[in-house]
Amino acid sequence: MSDDPRLIAAIELLKTPPPVSVAERVMEEIRRLPHTERPTRRTPWLTWPRGVALALAAGLAAILLLPSGNNSLTPGAAEGIAQFVGHFPGARSVEVVGSFNNWSRGMLHLRDDNHDGIWHGDAVLPAGQHEYMFVVDGDRWVTDPLAGRFVQDGFGAGQENSLLIVRPAAAQP
Amino acid sequence: MTRLLVLVLAFAVGGPLAAQRGSSRLAGRVPAAALPAIDSMIAAAVAEGLPTEPLVQKALEGGAKGIPTDRLVNGVRRGLLQLRQARILVGRAVPGQPQPEGHVAAVAAALARGLPPSIVERLLTAAPNEAPAPVLHAAADLVAHRFDADAATDLLVEAHNKGLRGVRLLDVAAAADHELQRGGRTPSDALARVRAMLPDVPAPAVTRRGPTGS
Repeated sequence: MSDDPRLIAAIELLKTPPPVSVAERVMEEIRRLPHTERPTRRTPWLTWPRGVALALAAGLAAILLLPSGNNSLTPGAAEGIAQFVGHFPGARSVEVVGSFNNWSRGMLHLRDDNHDGIWHGDAVLPAGQHEYMFVVDGDRWVTDPLAGRFVQDGFGAGQENSLLIVRPAAAQP
Repeated sequence: MTRLLVLVLAFAVGGPLAAQRGSSRLAGRVPAAALPAIDSMIAAAVAEGLPTEPLVQKALEGGAKGIPTDRLVNGVRRGLLQLRQARILVGRAVPGQPQPEGHVAAVAAALARGLPPSIVERLLTAAPNEAPAPVLHAAADLVAHRFDADAATDLLVEAHNKGLRGVRLLDVAAAADHELQRGGRTPSDALARVRAMLPDVPAPAVTRRGPTGS
């Protein structure tokens, strides 16, 4: 068992019922592990042993649940906060490119401040549907396996975009 | 008479301007060889009263990804065909009424996600005067998780009839998926359990950092 304080904190957090949206994403990832139903989206880290994947899931949960220290994101009534997380060990850069930024590069970079290979970032986005992909090291387009929703990009090579549905802040309970 | 003249002028000038705006956003972002064909499709969309933003976005996406010209143009063309099909479906659901661009775009997005047109039409007919995106996404979520499309639609229509609207319909799909994942349940069992909960399906929680995407 790792003595990484973030993983320990994550395990403690997972002992209590997490928010549905986070649990949904983590469980979705865990459920996905033994299956190979989406070969076009399968990446090497999805084939890791289950224990490693569970540790990763715990790490992801911690990132999603713990305050980031960045409290400057305040969505308007017709906006919501999107949280992006990806595991890209050894990557030099990871950014999110999608319909919300006109598929422009250099506008939403993820961070890996502690160099553990887990990249994350938040953004205030208009409520509604957004398609996106990660761009790793400037030239590798990767579908976000944690997105939970996917759509063919329509360019004929079977590539899928990740699909994010942002709920308006005004619709939150 | 003056009003009519203004409307005619707005249509005559506004359409080409809209097409031009879309085209100008593409300059330098897509291969020059693809621009004439894409411009032509955007102009066609304007002339037909279809939303152009999905086409502009698809072209920008293709350019950003470095998609070869022929495939990029085909991708945009596929988007135009989906918009046309979407407009037909919206027109059937609300005959004789205006077809908001947002509704047409939402239906096209649902078709792109693989939702069968018959299901789309049924959902549009069940709530003809509401923004269709949430219920269409909820249906697409359920179909993607291998629920029977007709049974999933039955559940969503019942949820709507019991007062659930907008993004709350996404919670219905999430609840069905949770029920299925609890183990030992068939998809129809899971749908039945959620039906029994209606309209009190669990709402999404809010993280400490604010509302999240779902």
